[in-house]
This record gives sequence, structure tokens and C-alpha cells, in this order.
Amino acid sequence: MTWYFLRLEIVRALRDPRYLALAVATPIGFYLLFATLFGGAPVRPGELRGTVEIMVAMAAYGAIWAVLSTTGPRIAQEREIGWLEQLRAMPVRAWQVLAAKLVAGGAMALPAICSVCLVAALAKGVRLGPGQWAGLVVAMWLGTAAFAALGVAIGYAVNADASYVVCYGLYMVTSAVGGLWVPPGMLPESFRSVSGWLPSNRLADLGWQIAGGHPALWPAIGVLAAWTAGLAVVAVLIYRRPRLRRSRPPGGTAHLNGQNEEARAGEARAGRAGARTAVRADG
Amino acid sequence: MSGTRVRRSAASAISLRSVSKGYGPVRAVRDLSLEVRPGETVALLGHNGAGKSTTVAMLLGLVGPDTGRALVCGHDPARAVQDGLIAAMLQDAGMMPGVRVAELVGLAHRAYPSPLPVARALELAGLTEVASRRVDRLSGGQAQRLRFAVAVVADPEIVVLDEPTRALDVRGRAEFWEAMRAYAASGRTLLFATHYLDEVDENAGRVVVMAKGRVIADGTPAEIRGRVGGGTVRFSCDAGHGAFAALPGVTGVEVRGERVLLRTADADVTVRALAAGVLPWRDLRVTPASLDESFLMLTEEAS
Repeated sequence: MTWYFLRLEIVRALRDPRYLALAVATPIGFYLLFATLFGGAPVRPGELRGTVEIMVAMAAYGAIWAVLSTTGPRIAQEREIGWLEQLRAMPVRAWQVLAAKLVAGGAMALPAICSVCLVAALAKGVRLGPGQWAGLVVAMWLGTAAFAALGVAIGYAVNADASYVVCYGLYMVTSAVGGLWVPPGMLPESFRSVSGWLPSNRLADLGWQIAGGHPALWPAIGVLAAWTAGLAVVAVLIYRRPRLRRSRPPGGTAHLNGQNEEARAGEARAGRAGARTAVRADG
Repeated sequence: MSGTRVRRSAASAISLRSVSKGYGPVRAVRDLSLEVRPGETVALLGHNGAGKSTTVAMLLGLVGPDTGRALVCGHDPARAVQDGLIAAMLQDAGMMPGVRVAELVGLAHRAYPSPLPVARALELAGLTEVASRRVDRLSGGQAQRLRFAVAVVADPEIVVLDEPTRALDVRGRAEFWEAMRAYAASGRTLLFATHYLDEVDENAGRVVVMAKGRVIADGTPAEIRGRVGGGTVRFSCDAGHGAFAALPGVTGVEVRGERVLLRTADADVTVRALAAGVLPWRDLRVTPASLDESFLMLTEEAS
């Protein structure tokens, strides 16, 4: 049952054209653009070639959105339409629901990372050792756990429309400040001091270190582990907030009627009359 | 298989003993007691806010009663849900977006301990033809029957439906109840909350009327009508209009041209008096009180 649940979560993400567009196609497009413009030899000794550095940055960029979009907006949407409540009325444990979401979110990062690497190898002639390729993909994949926790926290904290905006906003900010668009070395001084503490930067750092051949992974692992643990605690706290445990109190209260109206307004926004299951912000 | 399951079940399919539940200052359910025997089809009738959904939520272990005890097939509700003895279609419950009908029913199939085959559940719900359609591309009626399929695939002793035909058109409702009657005929217990009275008349063997968190009437649809009694007497008459209000049993008089409509607490008495009288009436018609009228009168009495 847990496996089937997980399979459905993955299948539905793959069926969503927005996933392929934003988490896979966009990073590949950016990679080809940036690698063509800035893909020259390293400026200083010890630095990575531009084609490699940008490959890792774009792999992280795609992976972060893959994970955030399959956790935050989806959980918020499912809370809103009552699917999570229906699951509570079935013999499905809360941990099974959460585990399926987290693992599915994580799984969605893998195609995002691999596709950028593949394009880099094929189109820009990036060559790494087999151990480096494997290490880079696996390390960056595991590193996305922090974003899965962030997505879950957002999904339980705000409604579907807001969760999409919040996820996308955080995604853009952490990508920019984390040095995924411009190399960290070219960032303004004020950004650079923050950059190393961000999970986005450290996710890419895992890849940069491994691709560089003499990896110093512990700083990145330390920062990512701290973010993951911290955000996981936040997610659990938000999940346990009493009003969310009973996010749709059953009938007969003014509170409920208000919520129903909210849901109906959401439906109207979705522009699909009669379909309670309308997909809105399912990224 | 069904033999062992019937033996396993207790004398009462559903047993609510003096349960109460409040949300802050709102007393949603007050000292409610209800016994449902296996195989009954029970309609839970009441206005919005009468406590129907809270009652349903207690039967599923989604909320615990503040006081009193809820038992489902003799078990704690949460346990009965785990064992697949009770399965529900919640009011407005959304379905996992982006998956196909058969996939979603397959998920529920895997969640329950002794489920029906997916194909059988789809058949019972009349969804076989749309099995490979995405759940977010179903019509209102199909979506509602999908919710039924997700519950019925558990092969439960008790199916609970919370306002199952809300927002359905006439045809969707007819199709839905057709599927539901076929299922109830298999001897399973069906409890549904609704405020559509025609559905109650056609589909329930027993009606439990709720108002303000309490049961205010409990019986067959005919008994509920009978409790309020009376009906309307219509006829044409072009003289003596002033005398109608004085007839025995009459509680209201409406006159339009020569058409006369009398509301009466006891149609028999009123008609006998009319027949014994001298008024030149013709085209007499007697209609029993509709469930609608009974329901309104019952709930008005309660408030």
C-alpha cells in the first residue's frame, strides 16, 4: 500500500506538464545558454570549468524546484480539497501519507539532476570519472532533503495559492543568493556572506566539490544536515498545530461554513464548475 | 467470506450512546443516542448545522465524543475503520488529483484488509467505462460515484455517505441512487446524511431527523409523515367560503377563485365533515402531508 501510494505520487507528478517544464526543461535551457556564454576555461587555477560549474548549479536549480513543487503546493491543495481528510477516514496512517510525499518529492529531483548532467556530457563535452558522476548525482539527490522538509512545512502552513507563491519566491531568492545563477565568487559581498549558509548554495557545493576532484564535503553536509533537521522540526510543529489537525471540522459550526465558502471561492478561481478535484497549484 | 463477517459483527452495526461533541462554544451534538441494526438503510436528515457531519465524523473516529460512547460493529470507530468494517464518503471530500479512476480505487483497495476487487467496486459504482479517466476530469456525478467506489472497495459492513448527492443534477442523482440501492440490496448497512427529502422517501427504510445536535424524530418515512399527520384537501366550490375554517381539523384555508385548499391536521375527519355537509363542492382531492412539510414542522417545533 505504501509503495502503491508512492508510485501514484510519482506518476501524477510526471503527468504534470509544469513539472517537466519548470524542473527539467528550464534548467536545461538555462544550462545551454549560460554554458555557451560563460563556459570557458577556469580563470584561476583550481577553479572548475564553466561548463561543469554551471552544470552543477543548474542541476541544483532544477532539483530544488522538483522537490519544493511536489511537496508544498500539493499538500496545501490536498488539505484544501479534503483529500487528506478522506485519507484520515481510511486505514492509512499519517506517517504513510507523509513518507509517500517526502520520498516522491525526493524522487522527482533525480530526473532533474540527471537530465542536466546528460545534456552537459552530450552537448558541452563535460567529462568526469564514473565515481564522480555517481557521487555527484547521489550526493546532490540526498542533499535535496532539506527542501522536502521545507515544502512539507509550507504545505501545512498556508493554503494552495499562497503555497505556490511562497515556494516559488523562496526558490528564486535562495537560487539567486545561493549563487546558482551567477557563480558565488561574482556575487556582491553582502550576498557572499549569506550564501554559504544557504541550503541552495551547499547543495551545489556538494556537486562542485565532487566535480573538483578533491572534495571537502563536510561543510556542505553540515549546513545541509542542519537545515534538514531544523526544517523537519518546523514541519512537525506546523503539522501538529491543533487547528490544522482539524483543518476541516465537521459540519455545524460557523467556522466550517466560512471554510466551505473559502473552498467554493477557490473552486470558482479554478474556473472548473462542479469539479471539487480541480487541479490548481499542483506544481 | 460474507458469512464470517456477519457473524463477526455485533448486534448493532452502529451504536451511539449519549454522545456529545462541542467545538468551542458550539454544541454540535448533544446527548445523542442511536442504534442502527445491520442491513438497515438509514437517512440522517437535518438542516445545515444540525450535527449530521459531526455524527458521521464520530462514527469514523475522526473526532472523539466529549462524553458518551460510539461503537461500530461493537468496536471503537478507529479500529472499525482500520479493519474495514466501516467506510465512508465524506462531504465534499476531494480526490487525489492527477491520477486515474482505477488507480485511486486501487489505492483504497490496498489500504483495506479484505477488499473487493477493483473491477467489482468500479462496477458497483458504475464507473467501469471511465476507469482510465483522470479523476479531475470527471463529471459531478462520476466524481460522486468515485467517492462511493473508494468506500465500497473496502467491502465494509457499513457504508457512510455524507451528503452524497449535493451539487448533482437530476440525472446524476438518479444514477447515484441506482448504484446505492443495488448495494443496499446486498444486505449491507447504509447510513447517509442528506437534506434532500425526496431521496429519503425513495431510498431510506428509516429516517432519523436531527435538529440542533439532537434526534427529534426516528422512524420510517411514512411514520415521520404520520407523526405530523394531516395533509391537504383540495376541491372546487363557489359558495360558502366562510364556513371552511370552521370545519373540524382544518388548520389553514387558501381560496383562489373557486379552487379551495384546506390544510388539515386530520384529513379523514375533515373529509367526513365535508361529505356530511351541504356545501356544493366537487373535484375533491386529498394529499397526505409531504415529508418536506413534516420535516419543516418537526424542525420548527424543535427550535
